[in-house]
This record gives sequence, C-alpha cells and structure tokens, in this order.
Amino acid sequence: MTSRKVAKRGFNLDYVMWLFMRLSALAMYAVGLTGLTAALVMGARTQTDLSTLVRWTFFQNPSHVFSSDIVVLDNFINQFWQIMQITMVFFGVTHGLNGLRIVVEDFMGSTIWRTLWRGFIFFAWIFITLVAIYVVLAS
Amino acid sequence: MKKITLKLFRYNPETDTKPHYDTYKLEVEPTDRVLDLLEKVKGYEDGTLSFRRSCAHGVCGSCAMRVNGENKLACKTLIQDIKSSKITVEPILGMPVLKDMIVDMEPFFDNYKKVMPYFINDDPKPEKEHIQSIEEQERFDDTAKCILCGACTTSCPSFWANDEYVGPAAIVNAHRFIFDSRDQGAAERLQILNDQFGVYRCRTIFNCTLACPREIEITKAIGEVKKAIATGSLD
Ligand code: SF4
Ligand code: FES
Repeated sequence: MTSRKVAKRGFNLDYVMWLFMRLSALAMYAVGLTGLTAALVMGARTQTDLSTLVRWTFFQNPSHVFSSDIVVLDNFINQFWQIMQITMVFFGVTHGLNGLRIVVEDFMGSTIWRTLWRGFIFFAWIFITLVAIYVVLAS
Repeated sequence: MKKITLKLFRYNPETDTKPHYDTYKLEVEPTDRVLDLLEKVKGYEDGTLSFRRSCAHGVCGSCAMRVNGENKLACKTLIQDIKSSKITVEPILGMPVLKDMIVDMEPFFDNYKKVMPYFINDDPKPEKEHIQSIEEQERFDDTAKCILCGACTTSCPSFWANDEYVGPAAIVNAHRFIFDSRDQGAAERLQILNDQFGVYRCRTIFNCTLACPREIEITKAIGEVKKAIATGSLD
C-alpha cells in the first residue's frame, strides 16, 4: 500500500493525551500495586486495616505509617517512596484533569467559556501538582 | 392481523410552535414493516405526514428513524420483531427536525465530506482496472457496506454532546478508503481524523455498532483507525 505523503504535524495535544490516558491508567495500577505489595511485605499485614491499605495503594506517604503502627518506619521514609508518590500524584492529577478538559470540550462548543475552562484547568493542574509535590517532600 | 397503536412524532414548522405526538390505531400484518404503517397513515389518515424513503429495501439509507427509542431503518423493521403492540416512531436524534421524521442531514454530510470519502490514486491509469486480491478487498469489506443512513452517528452520545465530532459514519467511510490497497490518501485521512474532533471523541460506547442496520462493526473499525494513527501502520 503506498500513500501520498503529508506534512508532519507539530505537537498534537489530543493525540498525546489520548496515549497518556491509556498509559497513565496502566502506570497507576503498577504504582498502586507496588505500594500495596510493599506495605504488606514490610509489615502492614498484621498491623493494618482496609483503609490503611487503600492509603498505601494510592499515596505511599510515611505519615500513613504512624497511624498503622508499622514498626520499621525507616523502610518507608526514603527517596524511592517519595518518587513513587510524586509519580502517582502526577499521573492521577493529569489523568483526572484531562478527563475534565474532555468533558468541557464535549459540552461547550467553540465559545469563550471553553477557553476560560481550559485556562482554569491548566492552572489547576500546575497548582495541585506543585502543592502535592510539596506535601510529599515536606512530610 | 394484529391491532397496534402507532404513536408518531409530529412537527410542522409552518403551523406548530412545538412538536407533539399523534396516535393511530391500525390493523397490521406481522410481516408489515414500520414503513408500511407510515405509508398507511400517510395514504389513508393524514397526507401531511412527512418522512423520507426511497428504495424501501434497506439499501438507500433514507428511512432511518427511532422506533420505540432505537435507531432503525423503517423499511427493514418488521412488526413481528417488535415486542410491544405500541409503536412509537420519532426522528433520529442530534440533528434539527425539519418536519415530522425529516431531519436536516446537512451537518451529517458536512462531516462525511471532511474525510475525503472518494478514491485517491495519482498513478497513471491502469489499462483495465486496479487489481486487488481477495484478502486485500476483505480488509475493508465490512465498512464498504455503509449506506449513509446516519443511524450510527445519531445514536452516539458524544455526537449529541458536540456535533463538531465527525461521528462514526464519517470514520467508517474513511476506514473504507484508508484500508483500500488501491487508494493513496490514507495518510491525509488519518491526519484529518487525528484531531480533537476526529477519532478522539469516540469513547467506545458501542451505540453505533448496535444501531447500524448493515451490522457493520463500527467500534472495531474506529479502533483500527485509532491504531493506525497511533502506530503509523496500516497492517
Ligand atoms: S455505518 Fe451503518 S449506521 Fe452508520 S451510516 Fe453507515 S449504514 Fe448507517
Ligand atoms: S427506504 Fe431505502 S433504506 Fe429504507
């Protein structure tokens, strides 16, 4: 099959985000399951309850360890877990807010409201991500 | 003979401020089609009833309408296949109603035209014909069945939400040429569909696949177009 050549298009947000939505969903499963497995291996199996496990799945923050009475705290306070938390935050916030962008574009034609919402979502994305990273690094 | 109650959506922009429904009691054969009932009403009860039809055999695509809430071809829907003895017929959704069952199909065909639904080949004309193997033909056999009735696009919630979305029918017809080994416009069509209002507005809801009177696997075809865009390959 031959095809006429077309000029390459530059950055295509919708293409990139379409791929991102699929890959980030898989990545979140991977990060979540890693957190969950690690928490169980490192002692959570005997000292925790469902809500703690859920917190460990979605946000592997050392402050969660205090409330679950895990003895070996050092295992959790290190850069590896901080990177895992930041990854989860980045994927979660970006995935969720991109979903919101799609909803906005579904229901608002080419209006000023669409532009305003897109701007709002962009700033919310930057703000929430930065605050979350600050929380991770400062705790 | 079976007794049925036929409820019809009525709207005449010249006399009505808003649509209403008219009800008719009819005696029908189980082998009658919904189109026959409309013809009966138009012929014997109310000549002003308006609907599109041409072939009456499921090939022209004119008579798509909502029968008991589902998009159907009126000429292909048998009374014996409708469970209820109450039959409601309404125009397809998502496009402006012009009169009764007739909707303005212009937005639908505008979207259709966007994907260049015609054969593109810049090579010198072959002496006889463009040769294609059976396997190559089978690659787009399913999407070549489309009769442009619009049942798919007007059953799609994403299209209802925003009619800038080209819609399943346009993607089906793009697919028909993108995967045709004789055609050379695939890259252009994929670029047109690689857009905010191209394939990315498809959320794999599957309404289109259920609605298609030609039983085209539309969601699968859209998936193949998405895959071609993502991988840059037509295999
Ligand atoms: S794909 Fe099926 S439902 Fe859609 S326009 Fe073609 S024939 Fe009609
Ligand atoms: S009248 Fe032609 S498809 Fe129904």
